[in-house]
Amino acid sequence: MRRILRTRITARVVALGAVVAALLGLALVLLIVAVGGLRDAGQAAFRSQEALTAGSELEGSLISIENGLRGFVASGRERFLQPTEEALRDYPGELRRLDRLVSGEPDQQERVERVGVAIEDYVTLWARPLIALARDRLPAAQSVVVTNGGRARLDAISEGFDRLVARERVVSRERELRAEQRSSLAVGFGFGGLALVLALTAGVALYLRRAIVQPVLMVSEATGRLAAGDLGTRVPAERPDEIGDLARSFNAMADSLQSSRSELASRTEELEHSNGELQRSNRELEQFASVTSHDLQAPLTTISMYAELLERRHAGELNGVAELLDGIRGATGQARELIRDLLEYSRAGRGPLHVEEVAVGAVVGQVLESLAGPIDEAGAQVVVASELPVVSADRGNLARVFQNLIGNAIKFTSDRAPEVRIGVERDGARWRFWVRDNGIGMEPQHAERIFEPFQRLHGDEAYEGTGIGLAVCERIVDQQGGRIWAQSVPGEGSIFSFTLPARETAQDEAAVEEARAHAAV
Amino acid sequence: MRRSSGLAALLAAALAALLLAACGEGDERSSGARTTSDASPIRIGTKNFTEQFILGELYRQALQAEGFPVRLKLDIGNSEITHQALAGGGLDMYPEYIGVLLSEIADQPQRPRSPTAAYRLAKAFEERNGFTLLRPTPFTDANALAVTPATARRHDVRSIADLERLPGRPEIGAPPEFKTRFEGLVGLKELYGLDRVRAVPLRIGDQYEALDEGEVDAAAVFTTDGQLADGRYAVLADPRGVFADGHVAPIISRRTLRAHGPRLAVTVDAVSRRLTTRAMRAMNSAVAQDGETPAAVADRFLRSQGLKE
Repeated sequence: MRRILRTRITARVVALGAVVAALLGLALVLLIVAVGGLRDAGQAAFRSQEALTAGSELEGSLISIENGLRGFVASGRERFLQPTEEALRDYPGELRRLDRLVSGEPDQQERVERVGVAIEDYVTLWARPLIALARDRLPAAQSVVVTNGGRARLDAISEGFDRLVARERVVSRERELRAEQRSSLAVGFGFGGLALVLALTAGVALYLRRAIVQPVLMVSEATGRLAAGDLGTRVPAERPDEIGDLARSFNAMADSLQSSRSELASRTEELEHSNGELQRSNRELEQFASVTSHDLQAPLTTISMYAELLERRHAGELNGVAELLDGIRGATGQARELIRDLLEYSRAGRGPLHVEEVAVGAVVGQVLESLAGPIDEAGAQVVVASELPVVSADRGNLARVFQNLIGNAIKFTSDRAPEVRIGVERDGARWRFWVRDNGIGMEPQHAERIFEPFQRLHGDEAYEGTGIGLAVCERIVDQQGGRIWAQSVPGEGSIFSFTLPARETAQDEAAVEEARAHAAV
Repeated sequence: MRRSSGLAALLAAALAALLLAACGEGDERSSGARTTSDASPIRIGTKNFTEQFILGELYRQALQAEGFPVRLKLDIGNSEITHQALAGGGLDMYPEYIGVLLSEIADQPQRPRSPTAAYRLAKAFEERNGFTLLRPTPFTDANALAVTPATARRHDVRSIADLERLPGRPEIGAPPEFKTRFEGLVGLKELYGLDRVRAVPLRIGDQYEALDEGEVDAAAVFTTDGQLADGRYAVLADPRGVFADGHVAPIISRRTLRAHGPRLAVTVDAVSRRLTTRAMRAMNSAVAQDGETPAAVADRFLRSQGLKE
């Protein structure tokens, strides 16, 4: 039991509640007793009053008897006896009533009995005999009357009444007082009980505050501090009860947070470190690629130039040199192309973005113009299937992508008449552009490989190009926060799709920002 | 635990208070029930003077000693009312003087030749009304008139007839009924021709003082009065017999006799038989002059007579 009271606040509250309820019940009972006491006091007083009234009525009857009697004896006239006869009929009932009303005290009972006997004696040994005597021999009755025997008896009866009544008053008053005392005591206890209940209630409230509200507030504040960043904050947690459990849980949570945060911090540090290294390495690589390709271009240009010179100056002198020179020119041209593509690839997806509102339709138009030759040559039909939107993007990069995709589409044609369709679809917060051809297509497993640099599915001889076009596209699209992918069915054609963020939502701004931050790295 | 012991103490205190308060409820019931004795008590009455009180006590104590339930009603009044009380059913028995019974109650003033004849006459009278007389006493206590020796000497008054000699309107101190009784002014006028005398109403017992003070010329007395014992007062002779014999016999209702059986009469008679004039006088004296109570005097007499343990 004690364990439960120690460790469970509910149990304590229930126990306190039971005490309060018991005290309230007790107070109620006491108040009921008080009311009962008051009622008894009232009843005692009332009874006493009734007894007095009964007594005086009885006395009145006796006096009526005597007066009527005396009148009759004095005058001999029967009519004087009327009140006497009436009173003689009434007095037994009045005596009985008095007997009932008088308290149960034995002394009082005895007094009432004695008074009753005295009254009976008055009636049977004085009043009635005197009436009979007066009717029989009036003078004899008159000689009896002058002795005032009746008066003497009535006086004695009166004295008896007085004693009876006096005692009755005292007894009744005692009873009243006792009842009132009982009532006061009960009221006192009742109010005392209520005061105690109030005090207990206040005590309970204070206890609850101390035991529950304050600790909970403490934990709540600590939680706030924790959320604000003070991971070292803890709360006292020695209590064995539910509040203690809460505190301990909080502390455990804070511990866990603290250790995760430090772990996180160290991981982040690691990441930053490796990130820094990566960036450094990337920059180095870029620089390397840039420098290399740039530096490589110079000698190539020189070779080419010297080949030219050779041709011009000594073409007539050397037979079959023109072919050799063509060969040099061709090879250097290839090399330069390769270097140029390498450079382009190394730059793609990096460097600053000049983001503006670009009308994709206009860009596509420009690209188609620049590809007019090859399109014509391939006999391809290019259709722009949908109305192209305005996007926030880098114009040049976007043009590059379209150029590559459309270029590929007219390059990898099949026996059929090439048909290239260009379109766009809104896909949630993005635009999805697609370029579709009816060319040779490819196997699905190659769909990802083709985006890697220098990956060519066909040999050098079959198709032109260095194989970095799609890699460049991927880098560009990636930089602008999009995706690029291919779907294809061999022999039927391919669809190349890429996404760009649509410009109308706040997400666009965020995406743009992100893209910018990405570029800055 | 602190809390639970405090709680227990609180509850205990409250319970105690409750119990204390509730205890006061006990004695509120008024029953008013009275026990009545099963055998109805014999109601003995007495008239309004000492000798009667003593007789009442004698009969009461003797009967109670024999186990009879008795209620004694002392000092009811004179013969007229006491007898009326008996006749009306308010009493069962009281001791009456035969002469007074005949002259004042039975309305037969002519004097029978002997006490026995008087007794028989009186008994016959009572028996006509459902009552009867028990055995008469040996003592006689007659009414009489007395004067101071000084008055007797001055006016030479020795008999009732001599009251004629008193000047003016002689005053006789007597109880009120004297005025209307044959054994009073009526008889005095009729038998002695004393029509000048007046009765001054006095309480029985006060007449001797009145005589001493000279407030009255003569006083109505009882022949067994203690005050008459040592000749301080002169009792007047009654040659014409206005005052009859004063043997006492208890008048008793026949119903009471039947209800309580023959032992009742036997017990009463046993007392009556022993009451001599001397004994009566002595007892009267003890009360009137020595200040003893009638109860004590009766008790002593009964014990001395072996009628009480």
